[in-house]
Amino acid sequence: MLQETLVLFKNVRKPGYKGNLASYKAEGGYSALKKALKMTPEEIVSIVKESNVRGRGGAGFPTGLKWSFMAKNTGKPSYLIVNADEGEPGTFKDREIMLKDPHMFLEGYMIGCYALGCHHGYIYVRGEFVPAMKQLQKAIDECYEAGLLGPSMWGSKFPLDMTIHPGAGAYVCGEETALLDSLEGKRGQPRTKPPFPAVAGFNGCPTSVNNVETITAVTSIINDGAEAFKELGTPNNSGTHLVSLSGHVNKPGVYELRMGVSLKDIIYDLGGGIKNGKKLKGVIPGGSSTPVLLPEEIDIPYDFDSLMKVKSMMGSSAIMVFDEDTDVVKLLHRMVRFYNHESCGQCTPCREGTHWSSMILRDFVYKQGSAAKLDRLKRVSGNILGATLCALGDACAMPILSFIEKYPEEFRAYFADA
Amino acid sequence: MPTFYLDDNPIEFEPGEKVLAAALRSGFHIPHYCYHPALSIVATCRMCLVDVVDMGNGRPAPKLMTSCSMDPADGMKIETKNEKVKEARELVMEFLLVNHPLDCPICDQAGECTLQDFSFEYGSGSSEMEYSKRVYGWRDIGTFVMLERNRCIHCTRCHRFTTEVTGTHEFGTFNRSHQLTVDTFTDRPMTNKFQGNMADICPVGCITEREFRFKRRAWKLQKTNSICTHCSTGCNITVEQDQNTVFRLKPRENQEVNQWWMCDDGRVSLRQFNNKKNRIMQPMGRVQGTLVKASWEQIYEAIKDKVKQLAVKKDEVVAITDTHASNEELFLLKKLLHDVFSSEHVFFPLRLWAQPDSPNFIDTLITTDKSPNTAGAIALGIKGNEDDSALKQVLSEKTKLAFVLGNPLGKESEIYDLVSKADLIICIGTVLNEWAERADVLLPGSTPVEKEGTFINKNHRVQKINAAVKAPRHAKADWLILQELIQSLGKQSTFQSTSEIFNSLATTLETFQGLTFEDVGDLGCSLPAT
Repeated sequence: MLQETLVLFKNVRKPGYKGNLASYKAEGGYSALKKALKMTPEEIVSIVKESNVRGRGGAGFPTGLKWSFMAKNTGKPSYLIVNADEGEPGTFKDREIMLKDPHMFLEGYMIGCYALGCHHGYIYVRGEFVPAMKQLQKAIDECYEAGLLGPSMWGSKFPLDMTIHPGAGAYVCGEETALLDSLEGKRGQPRTKPPFPAVAGFNGCPTSVNNVETITAVTSIINDGAEAFKELGTPNNSGTHLVSLSGHVNKPGVYELRMGVSLKDIIYDLGGGIKNGKKLKGVIPGGSSTPVLLPEEIDIPYDFDSLMKVKSMMGSSAIMVFDEDTDVVKLLHRMVRFYNHESCGQCTPCREGTHWSSMILRDFVYKQGSAAKLDRLKRVSGNILGATLCALGDACAMPILSFIEKYPEEFRAYFADA
Repeated sequence: MPTFYLDDNPIEFEPGEKVLAAALRSGFHIPHYCYHPALSIVATCRMCLVDVVDMGNGRPAPKLMTSCSMDPADGMKIETKNEKVKEARELVMEFLLVNHPLDCPICDQAGECTLQDFSFEYGSGSSEMEYSKRVYGWRDIGTFVMLERNRCIHCTRCHRFTTEVTGTHEFGTFNRSHQLTVDTFTDRPMTNKFQGNMADICPVGCITEREFRFKRRAWKLQKTNSICTHCSTGCNITVEQDQNTVFRLKPRENQEVNQWWMCDDGRVSLRQFNNKKNRIMQPMGRVQGTLVKASWEQIYEAIKDKVKQLAVKKDEVVAITDTHASNEELFLLKKLLHDVFSSEHVFFPLRLWAQPDSPNFIDTLITTDKSPNTAGAIALGIKGNEDDSALKQVLSEKTKLAFVLGNPLGKESEIYDLVSKADLIICIGTVLNEWAERADVLLPGSTPVEKEGTFINKNHRVQKINAAVKAPRHAKADWLILQELIQSLGKQSTFQSTSEIFNSLATTLETFQGLTFEDVGDLGCSLPAT
């Protein structure tokens, strides 16, 4: 029986844990910050680098490396900005952290700010997360009261302020450069790179944008050391991660797991198997933008590299399970409509391609499909893939191509002459 | 210098320069829409995708790169003509045309539309799009440009122009996804004075000039390099005409003067060039109080006789000119007074001028000096003072003969009364204005689009205008009229062309320090510091 490995959720899973400052401190909270303040910023960055923690937002880029890219001695302020714009369909882990244990996240954030020399932290929270924002604001207020934040962070000479910035509902603002534009008060659309945010990000200053879960993991990395964190996962995929399990399973929810446990076990052990004893039809392993896996493909370790091997992605660790009754064509149409709606529209293939794809899929849903249209859909999606400025175009094209590849019969059933 | 290779052609680049910019500078073309050298790089049209087969370290790039945003590296090898790139361009073209109305037959941009050109050059020629196209409602965005949003390909050059170049921020992008559109904020009209540039930088027919709309197909226009004569900045332009009518003035890139831009007032200054109603079409002389038409020979003969009869002495002659006259004309006017009458009484109205003090370069293009050659008049040593006291001084004594070039005094001036006392007033001009009722002789000159000449702009840059259209049958270039006046009054002047006059004045006058007409060229040249 697969068990959770509690690191980030060690407090959350404790009965009676309230998530306020007092209860967090009672569980030994803010000891990592105390430890960190005795170190130099460079030491912290090297520990994070050593832990090899990979970004939990979707791309899986090593966080320590990202931090070490930050331009130094520019004469400008540096920024560490937290991406809490958790918009990937199927993902709901960051919300849980902010709701249930905001201090663990804030502690990691303070350490990060200290490490990168950031004196004003911005938390860009998805606009729909109103309860999470309230909880987070309450926690920040508590920190100010306790002297953890403010002109001198916990008695050190390091001043630190924190601001919550609610997003306005755009999926694309979860892309780090679009997030920065939105934070600056501009229209939220991805910027061209280079320059990378580490050189010119928020207001043209060196900036690192990190996911809530990644930042929370920093707390435990500093607390327990890089080695302990590495031991929790597989090589190159260190630590634990929060898995958002949803869809046709008996026990959906957020689970904290080691990297590299079996995907099958997650669904059948933790998830309690498929609802109503139905058969499994497919699994989207990392948020809706990742290619789908068939039932026979899911017996693999659940980490970044193993999923790459089966030509899918772990993304933001959001597993969406669907049973045999699911109409995959309608499912795909719904997903593509989402990406069409959320495309910022600035770059050509994504703007025109996502709409075109959704129009073709609508034909299928209305039983107007044909072999030519299926080929056209493949061609249009294939053209979006790799040709766009940010990953949104790819996010729309990848599921289309994988669904067509893996469920050709289902599409054929929607041909006009079927 | 570090070098990268574009289809095996070595291109040197400076640090910070992008691949596309370096390629364009070296004369290699990579198709692009959203990139404009004056604007920030957004890399959104995806048309400039290139295949980097070697990033300079022996490895190829993982996917096609946008050359507009890519930093070159020493030894980098880039291919722009292989199958991969060709296919990518075809696809981008197809995507761009998915929602484009293809209304080229009624679109003013047709003929100079990059969407059209690249479709032919890089497109596949077919589309599988079978759904109805996106349609936007018509929007009125002001008096100078038209917005036809259905044609938009969302390069956002217009949006970036108003934020980065004019700083007026009245234009933006709205909505998302395939419904993305450009528009003004909150239904307000455009307010900046440089809207015509938005039509210029718009690669398609989404933004077009109202003045030019439906007047002429772009491919019929003949273009002549010239400069704008509407103010003392002297923006470099092309005069575009068909069948002897000027249809539009378009800015021409000159980094030293106007970069890529010109103002809207300058653009509509073409209206005066097409003015046929008020034009002086033939030489006219006053006979018993009324102006009657005459031939050039008759007029010159009459002038010669009258001058002889008046026995004009040195102090009894005056010439007043405006600074729309070119250096050559001013030189000959001076020569006329000097050679024939030994007089130096050549005056022009010198007015204080200013230009907006602005952090945006483009605002400094508009000066309050609405004549192109004030600096030239000063360089030629023509007398000008702000309150015209010197001119009044001369006119207060007995003046028998007055030469007037252009319209130096404007609508109202007390000098009109002083000049009117002269026995013979000879005016060279193009339109019937305040002088028509005062002059004894009206000689039909040429407008700036009908003649050659040089001007000196506010920053002491010598620039050239060229003849784009023909003057009316009996009109002559002003310099020629002045020369013929000198000849008919019994002195020598045998210049064959403006270039001869310029070369001659540049050698006689110290301020020009031996510049030649060839030195001026299409882009002008700075006057050597004195």
